[in-house]
Amino acid sequence: MRPVLLFVGVALLIAAPFGLKPYGIYLLSLWAVMTIAAIGLNLTLGYAGQISLAQASFVGIGAYTAALLTTQGWPLGAAFALAALLCFVVGWLLGYPALRVAHHYLAFVTLSFATLVFLILRNEEWLTKGVYGISGIPRPALLGWSTKAPQDFYFFCLGVLALASIAAWWLLRSPWGRAFTALRENPIRASSLGIDTRRYTLMAFAIGSALGGVAGVLYAPLVQFIEPTAFTPGLSFNLLLMVIVGGAGRFFGPFLGAAVSVLLPEWLRFSEGLYLMLYAVFVMILLAFFPSGLLGLAERLRTSWPRSSKSAS
Amino acid sequence: MMKSFIAISLALGAAGASAQPTVNMPIVIELSGAGAVSGTNFRDGAVLAIEEINAKGGILKRKINAPQADTQSNPGISRAQVQKAIDGDPYVILGPVFSGSVKANMALAQQAEVPQIVGAEAAEITQAGNPYIFRTSFGQQMSMPKIANYLRDGLKARTVAVLWVNNDFGKGGRDTFVKEMAARNIKVVSDVSTESGQMDFAADVVKLKGANADAIFVYTNEEESARFLREARKQGIDKPLIGETTLLGQKVIDLAGPAANGARGHVGLSADAPVPAVLAFKEKFSKRFGYVPDHNGIKGYTGVYAVKYATEKIGRFDRKLLAKTLHGLTIKPEQEPGILMETTWDNNGDIDRISFLAEVVEGKQRIVQTLPKLGSGK
Repeated sequence: MRPVLLFVGVALLIAAPFGLKPYGIYLLSLWAVMTIAAIGLNLTLGYAGQISLAQASFVGIGAYTAALLTTQGWPLGAAFALAALLCFVVGWLLGYPALRVAHHYLAFVTLSFATLVFLILRNEEWLTKGVYGISGIPRPALLGWSTKAPQDFYFFCLGVLALASIAAWWLLRSPWGRAFTALRENPIRASSLGIDTRRYTLMAFAIGSALGGVAGVLYAPLVQFIEPTAFTPGLSFNLLLMVIVGGAGRFFGPFLGAAVSVLLPEWLRFSEGLYLMLYAVFVMILLAFFPSGLLGLAERLRTSWPRSSKSAS
Repeated sequence: MMKSFIAISLALGAAGASAQPTVNMPIVIELSGAGAVSGTNFRDGAVLAIEEINAKGGILKRKINAPQADTQSNPGISRAQVQKAIDGDPYVILGPVFSGSVKANMALAQQAEVPQIVGAEAAEITQAGNPYIFRTSFGQQMSMPKIANYLRDGLKARTVAVLWVNNDFGKGGRDTFVKEMAARNIKVVSDVSTESGQMDFAADVVKLKGANADAIFVYTNEEESARFLREARKQGIDKPLIGETTLLGQKVIDLAGPAANGARGHVGLSADAPVPAVLAFKEKFSKRFGYVPDHNGIKGYTGVYAVKYATEKIGRFDRKLLAKTLHGLTIKPEQEPGILMETTWDNNGDIDRISFLAEVVEGKQRIVQTLPKLGSGK
């Protein structure tokens, strides 16, 4: 069942832009970018159980790295490498407080960090151009293939999303992934089994943050204009919502969660002034009745359906 | 999952369809988020103009169809909405108001060769050589020299303190203002940056009092301006408080109450301007929407009428020709009453018209002096 669904999903994503206008393609590209950031947060939060309200800051660090390098003529590949490395190191350092505090205390530590990053982006004008933002960010060309057109850039985003997904899939199926889960479920038991909880906590932050950076590197050439307010905690909350609505700790959760967060408000626009309210009500109902998110709901339907049909027969 | 994807794809695909006998003028504007007050005013002004024009048969016998799209005051979303507007083959795009959003989406409209009538005031928007961008109010590079002249000639100030909000609006205004001060040998003795959404201005007012400047220039958004005025009166600041459009706006006066009395400055556009057409507009607007418009309402209203006038002058719907025609065009109220005041667009899309010096007296904005158009001497 699962491989079939996956195949259909991938086929749809590849076919989608051919039936869409540039606006729809832009939204799908934004979906792909946000999914990558949410996959990162899902590693940190969903699998390793470390709450972070700073994911938007890493998207911001990635976006500014890309904007600054590519407007100076550097290739986007260099931005990917530098942003991933930078976010990995900063994420690792941000992980240290997580060794001492947990849950809502950790949330506040990461929130403070997010504010700090925002202030740096806004006030260090010599580097970031401050509140004026950076415009005219070019879209990359790969081996002569220009991604200037919406459709081409969408396939570029989709390709990066595929690579990020495969990397995350591999990571989660390796002993690392099991160590992350052990960390979330019972840190004391994990450490008594010989898992270096300290190292894995830091790793969970570092890898999750690096994926946030990768998403940022794509965000900059997608919108082609960035400014500090795009990376305030508002985006962090949105990413958190994507992970939870999709189903935290489930591999395909961020894919669905990002679809809800990016596409649903647009889809509800037919209701004009009410669209944000309808969206809020949908999220409230979903989380009140199905706290394990959309995938948790799907799982529940799948397990209860055969049972009820059996009892009926 | 598949079903929802198909449904979403269908919805996205269908969104761009437009009807034939109408002319498409989408309004992409801030209806939620930090820009909602300005955006709603601009939208309602535009809607009022569109309703009037449609009631008289439209432009060149085609009625205006104006779908509205909310940018949530977010540049990324504004870009998506402008893209959606472009997919629907628009004649012009109205909005947005936030400079950050305009910077994120103006290149798209330029690529598609769609004239964009914006409410943004940041100086750099019209300096990038985009032939499809048109303002509906003064850019900061036009309004700051006027306020600087007033400080030098009207108040005879030798020193000034500046309080500004640290976003692209405030920072842009502050940078231009400081440059204009230097050009007039007026010393900036205190330079106070404040946050967007700031509640408490006590410490900032203490700093300004300590600076003891001849005048204090206040450049923040509406809510913050009102909070600042209340704190300044509480601490008994007796130096003139000078502003540019926002500080003297109706919303600030409503929020600050008696603390707003005595605030002075320059207003580029005002619903209280001593021009009969503007006062008539104010009345029509208040009657239709149930609230008093600010300058953004005038921006939306006159923007639509400018498009109408230029189109009728051309005699057909041609986007490229419209942009060309608007450059260097002067519209007088005798030719098109909806323009309210004589207005000229230059080759960058910047605007020139009369403006006003005003003062808040007993909870009302009172125009003290009318300043001529900058180019009127030529």
